Amino acid sequence: MHRRRRLAAGAAAVLISLTAVSACSSEESGDKGGTSTKDASVINVTIKGDTVEPNGKRYDVSLNQKVEFVIDADEAGEIHIHSKPEQEIAYDAGTSTHDVSFDKPGIFAVESHALEKTIVELEVR
Amino acid sequence: MQFFAHGVGGAKDLPIPAEYAIAGACAALAISFTVLALAWRAPRFNIGEQPKPAPPLLATIVDSTWFKLVARLWGFSFFLYVAVAGVFGKDLAINPIFGVFFVLLWVGIVPMSLAFGPFYKAISPVRSINWALAKVSGSDPDVGLFRFPDRLGYWPAALGLFAFVWFELVYPFNSELGPLRLWCAIYVGVMLIGGALFGNRFYERADPFEVFSTLVGHLSVWGRHEGRLVMRSPLANLDLMPVRPGLLAVGSVLLGSTAFDSFKGSNRWTIWSQTTDLNGNLVNLGGLVGFILVVGVLFAAATMLTGIHAGFRRTELPGEFAHSLIPIVVGYVVAHYLTYLVEYGQQTVILLSDPLSNGSNVLGTGDRAINYWLSYHPTFLAVTKVLGVIVGHVVAVVAAHDRAVRLLPKRHQLTGQLSMLVVMVGFTIGGLALLFSS
Repeated sequence: MHRRRRLAAGAAAVLISLTAVSACSSEESGDKGGTSTKDASVINVTIKGDTVEPNGKRYDVSLNQKVEFVIDADEAGEIHIHSKPEQEIAYDAGTSTHDVSFDKPGIFAVESHALEKTIVELEVR
Repeated sequence: MQFFAHGVGGAKDLPIPAEYAIAGACAALAISFTVLALAWRAPRFNIGEQPKPAPPLLATIVDSTWFKLVARLWGFSFFLYVAVAGVFGKDLAINPIFGVFFVLLWVGIVPMSLAFGPFYKAISPVRSINWALAKVSGSDPDVGLFRFPDRLGYWPAALGLFAFVWFELVYPFNSELGPLRLWCAIYVGVMLIGGALFGNRFYERADPFEVFSTLVGHLSVWGRHEGRLVMRSPLANLDLMPVRPGLLAVGSVLLGSTAFDSFKGSNRWTIWSQTTDLNGNLVNLGGLVGFILVVGVLFAAATMLTGIHAGFRRTELPGEFAHSLIPIVVGYVVAHYLTYLVEYGQQTVILLSDPLSNGSNVLGTGDRAINYWLSYHPTFLAVTKVLGVIVGHVVAVVAAHDRAVRLLPKRHQLTGQLSMLVVMVGFTIGGLALLFSS
């Protein structure tokens, strides 16, 4: 008797969970992970004193897409892109543009080490 | 990992796709309750059966003096080599000590221990030094001045592990050579004094790396039975993990810190931490401690919410079940650090050829290129991550189930597991959510 009840309980559990799994996986899920919103081909960066704009925002980038950094800075410096391998952009005072692209998927932080800040994150896929 | 923000890397994996996270969460739920409903009702692991002996040739090799000596020599030479880089090398991101410390040692411990059992114990440089000091002074490395107090259990190791994750995730200057050197010097110093005071038992209970390695080694197939090398199923091996005070603390530090590291990877956190007026170090410290406490308190509470045998103390339950946290830790380490280990691990091996940053190629690995196969296959990576988390979860649920039917009175065996199951499913879904929102 006990055994039969256990079997019934087990079968019910399997049934419920299978329904759950199939329900879950058949769900419309076009959205992808992450919190990235903006699609970027041009990213404007303003570096004045010890402030930098944008302040850590995440951008969507396609593989091998050209991304143009337009940097407006009050003095020369460099920003680091932590891609694989790393890339470095050295900029002069004033406005300058710099093209980069990425051949591997991933999330790559673009940082100003002098300010110890993440300027943007690039979500490359 | 913050330290990469200053040179070695800083790239993160893409978030896992939503459908993978949801499918994984559903699978975790489904499997958990199936185990609860269908699995055995009497303990199944280590109930008196003889474990399978390892192949005799293998046992002979592993137990031979020269094998132990080779392992010690290898571990100690590697330690010395990296120490030279640490002491005489330059404070640059290309100093290999950073990768050795944060990637090869910390993350590499997991696969090595899964494959070979208590791996760090066999190569531990601090054990080797203790052994040499004992030989020189004509004493026994196993015996110290005092007996290690049993009531301390793994607490010293939990403290050491916390010191590591604090350095990795909170301390802002962890990518500079000076502080790293200091951390390592304190580690070696404490280990040598502890070894002199308490003998080798100290390393078993207080060396953070050895304890981490030995606990993960309980998920390997290798074990000992009456001194002989034997092979067990990882589940049976896990079941034999000795219950000691502080075991839950060790598990909580490992799981909580990994989860916090993952949490820190989210874009929301990046933006928030850069705009808040709060002190960044305090925020990180609070976050780390908070994650660890949440893991420990939830788990402890869940294990205690059950009926128990008369005369059994409820407060013993968290420790009795704590072994089941270790597979969750391993699953989550696989999910969170796989790319780090594979890609920065390769990077580290390349950098190891130039320990003094003077352009030399000592080991001949200096001109190798990193293989980015994993990065090029994000779908494979995402599937591996979800599978890692789910497999860890299933092993944990089964381990806890077996312990429950061993310890709990018959009529509480099913209901007594419910709270723990809910917490474990919560950890797993939380972990998947973190991987999804990274």
